[in-house]
Amino acid sequence: MSAAAPEKLGNLTDEAVVDPNSKQGKAISGRSPMQIALRRLMRDKVAVFCAFVVLFFIIIAVFAGPITKAFGVSTETVFPSQYLDVLGGGLPLPEYGPPNGGFTWDHPFGIAPKTADDNLAYWIYGARTSLIIATVATVVATLIGVVIGLLAGFLGGWVDKFLSFVIDAFLTIPFLLAALTMAPILNDRFAISDHYQQIQKFSLVTILAIFGWMSIARLVRGEVLSLREREFVQAARVLGMPTRRILLKELLPNLAAPIIISVSLMLPAFVALEAGLAYLGIGVTSGASWGRTILQAQVYFESYPLYLWQPLLGIVALVLSLNLLGDAIRDALDPKTRR
Amino acid sequence: MKRNKPLALVAGAALLTLAACGGSGSEGENGENGDDNEYREQGAGTKDPTRTGPAPGVEGATEGGTITVYLPGDPGPDSLDPTDGWSVTGNSIQQALTHRSLTQYSRGEDGEPVLVPDLAVDLGQHNDDFTEWTFEIRKDATWEDGKPITAEEVAWGMQRSMDSDTFPAGPGTEYSAHYFLEGGIYKGPYTQPDKKYDGITFDNEASTVTVKMATPFPDMDYWGAFMAMGPAPLGDASKPPNYGQQPLSNGPYKIESWKPNEELVLVRNDQWSADSDPARHQYPDEWVFKFNQDQAKVDQIMLSGNTDSQSALSTSLGSDKYEQASSELGDRLVQQSAQCVSTLAPDYTKITEIEVRKAIAYGYPYTDMWLATGEVPGVTRVPANSLMPPGMAGKRDFQPDGEQITYNPEKSKELLAEAGYEPGEYEITMVYYEVDPLAVAGQKQLTKGLEEAGFTVKAIPVQESPYNIWLDPDNKINKTLNLRGVNWCSDWPAGSTMLPPLLKTDAAYNTAQFSEASVDDEMDRIATIPLEEQADAWGALDEKIMTEFFPIIPTAFRNDLFVFGEKVGNPTGDGALGAPNYKDLFVVQ
Repeated sequence: MSAAAPEKLGNLTDEAVVDPNSKQGKAISGRSPMQIALRRLMRDKVAVFCAFVVLFFIIIAVFAGPITKAFGVSTETVFPSQYLDVLGGGLPLPEYGPPNGGFTWDHPFGIAPKTADDNLAYWIYGARTSLIIATVATVVATLIGVVIGLLAGFLGGWVDKFLSFVIDAFLTIPFLLAALTMAPILNDRFAISDHYQQIQKFSLVTILAIFGWMSIARLVRGEVLSLREREFVQAARVLGMPTRRILLKELLPNLAAPIIISVSLMLPAFVALEAGLAYLGIGVTSGASWGRTILQAQVYFESYPLYLWQPLLGIVALVLSLNLLGDAIRDALDPKTRR
Repeated sequence: MKRNKPLALVAGAALLTLAACGGSGSEGENGENGDDNEYREQGAGTKDPTRTGPAPGVEGATEGGTITVYLPGDPGPDSLDPTDGWSVTGNSIQQALTHRSLTQYSRGEDGEPVLVPDLAVDLGQHNDDFTEWTFEIRKDATWEDGKPITAEEVAWGMQRSMDSDTFPAGPGTEYSAHYFLEGGIYKGPYTQPDKKYDGITFDNEASTVTVKMATPFPDMDYWGAFMAMGPAPLGDASKPPNYGQQPLSNGPYKIESWKPNEELVLVRNDQWSADSDPARHQYPDEWVFKFNQDQAKVDQIMLSGNTDSQSALSTSLGSDKYEQASSELGDRLVQQSAQCVSTLAPDYTKITEIEVRKAIAYGYPYTDMWLATGEVPGVTRVPANSLMPPGMAGKRDFQPDGEQITYNPEKSKELLAEAGYEPGEYEITMVYYEVDPLAVAGQKQLTKGLEEAGFTVKAIPVQESPYNIWLDPDNKINKTLNLRGVNWCSDWPAGSTMLPPLLKTDAAYNTAQFSEASVDDEMDRIATIPLEEQADAWGALDEKIMTEFFPIIPTAFRNDLFVFGEKVGNPTGDGALGAPNYKDLFVVQ
């Protein structure tokens, strides 16, 4: 739009206004709001870069096995005494890489002090842990939040009152305290089980989801409250459509934008939370996790900084790109933004 | 005695430290070149009943200044009541600086602890069968308010230790309640205030205290070195639990302020007279103990050499800083033997074949375990051959299986085959403390080691201290275990504080569930034979148990590392308690 042109209401694009009857005008006329948003996103350089970073981590997480095999590294436990300087603070011997030696292809990221675990393998599997837990928790939290928000907003009355009370009640529970309390209870119940590791991940997802759905429920409820009085919903009601259909076919498509936005912001929050809990010793306690590596690496910040930087950069890169991407998606979906 | 160290520092696989108080022991100082990492052998402690005050001066010592003591990850004592003191940290501070008892240890010239008189004028007089001990209390010792300490107050302090209900974590529960007359029947002056107790009598005129025993107790003079065997103000003045907040001091220092788990400040006690005390000094003006410090932070302070660290000392050193510290600090890094042994305890009722128990010992990756759990192999942990720590009287130099047991998976598989098991057939079930990354790393090593040695391992993660599980017979996890472990330290340098607590039938810390009538009988017999023969008898029993039954796998003897600041004079350790030698430290002016 040229700077001189007067602003027109209802104009979704930031392209120059063209005569709808011209040839050019006909070529763009068939675009849905989603397509328009996507086009905007593609043109946003930061968003594209962040998308590539996120994609990079997703590929790493999905193909963790083949990638580690290609590098010839693994998360298997090794006896550390042959790799480490026993009296030198348990740091790796020079031939196995930093901090005392140079780069080696056997261990591209070096090996861990004390245990001689391969850093690259742990880093890659840490990315997998992080992404799996964050993604599943986001999906579950979104499902719960959307369902509750839709029902509360649309049904109104005592249902709304009750569900709003539940939302408020969950918001009052301090997340960290609940997580710290749950960990020993779960351990006490399942420690003997052979599937303890899976149960631990499953319960972590549950805890993250249970304390993560409220914001999205509130958002959806608010949107629904304003939408349900609109003509198209009234018309659907008059036509005798069942509630389920109104919710799924009429309301939900109109909520796509806010839901996508909150999902894109919830993901990085969960990635950070997973690492934070692992750091506190209550998340994934066995197996690879960035938070766990940071906990082990913090005392080496001086003597072996690389060990600490790897998981730290992993988290920062992933969370930052997810956040920026989320911002970009919000901007792209918002009809009021023009850039 | 328990050791108030953080789990992260003491955890070895599933083994947390629950250490008895250091008994004898001595000194392993690090050589100046920093390469002297050999474990120092040490002799048993000696006794000197004739020592009188004042204590011989330390060369170059000057008065004045403040010494700050950092205790990384160590929460310190819960109560300062002397009767409650059974932790290495609390006892080492209070016995050296604020609270006197019947006897005490002094650091000899060679670093060996010497048992010398304290409030008593000698090491006690006993009858022929050690059932009655009489201590003459010196008359020149005073409280911090200037009043003289009377025999009645000493007797009262000792009587308090009979009260196991009021002081459940005190050492009296193990010794007073066991050996003193009517121990276990008489519940103590607070639980049974109306009952008169005849076991401990005093004579203020002659200034004597007499203790009658239920069973012969030849080690009463060693037990007298616990501050629980010291005086307490009569009546309500010493009523627990308030007395534990601000106990009346009688040593060279008195308590200025105490914030539990945070800070203890001690200042000079003007009323203490050096002439009355054969072993303590009063060099610095003030002591500041900082509990629960962060190890990494303290390491930074101590290695920086700045003014904060010059008159400070730290009671531990992170293994990641060992190389730097040993090259930069020289003899200011002190390696102190802790008179402790770490063990694995295979359940004697489930793992019945000695071959399998030995196979576990050969499947334990010693050096790798120490590395992974943050120890310095050969320095803070050294290979062990039996339960009695080096230097304990009567300890024999033998190897239960011919030579020092090291990690040897082939030998382990052979032993398993001898017992009739294929590789992978025998399952070991154990717990580990999953909250601590070091314990998790250690467990990974142990699992790998045992699996390569032909076992299958089921490691159960727990979020409470493994001791809570091992010591609870009704715990559902405990019932499934066939491998446990205990870390144990001696209370004084005698086999009686090592073997019976770990291996006597139904002893509390006998997590191996070991029970052999012949061994029990021998333990009972040794307690009754003449004192001179006991040390040898314990050593012989130690060897017999390890070679005949091998019921418990000693994995390591333990050492502590202390870091002293530049201006702390006479940087040494206290071999009796496994703590810094607080009695003889001073600030270089």
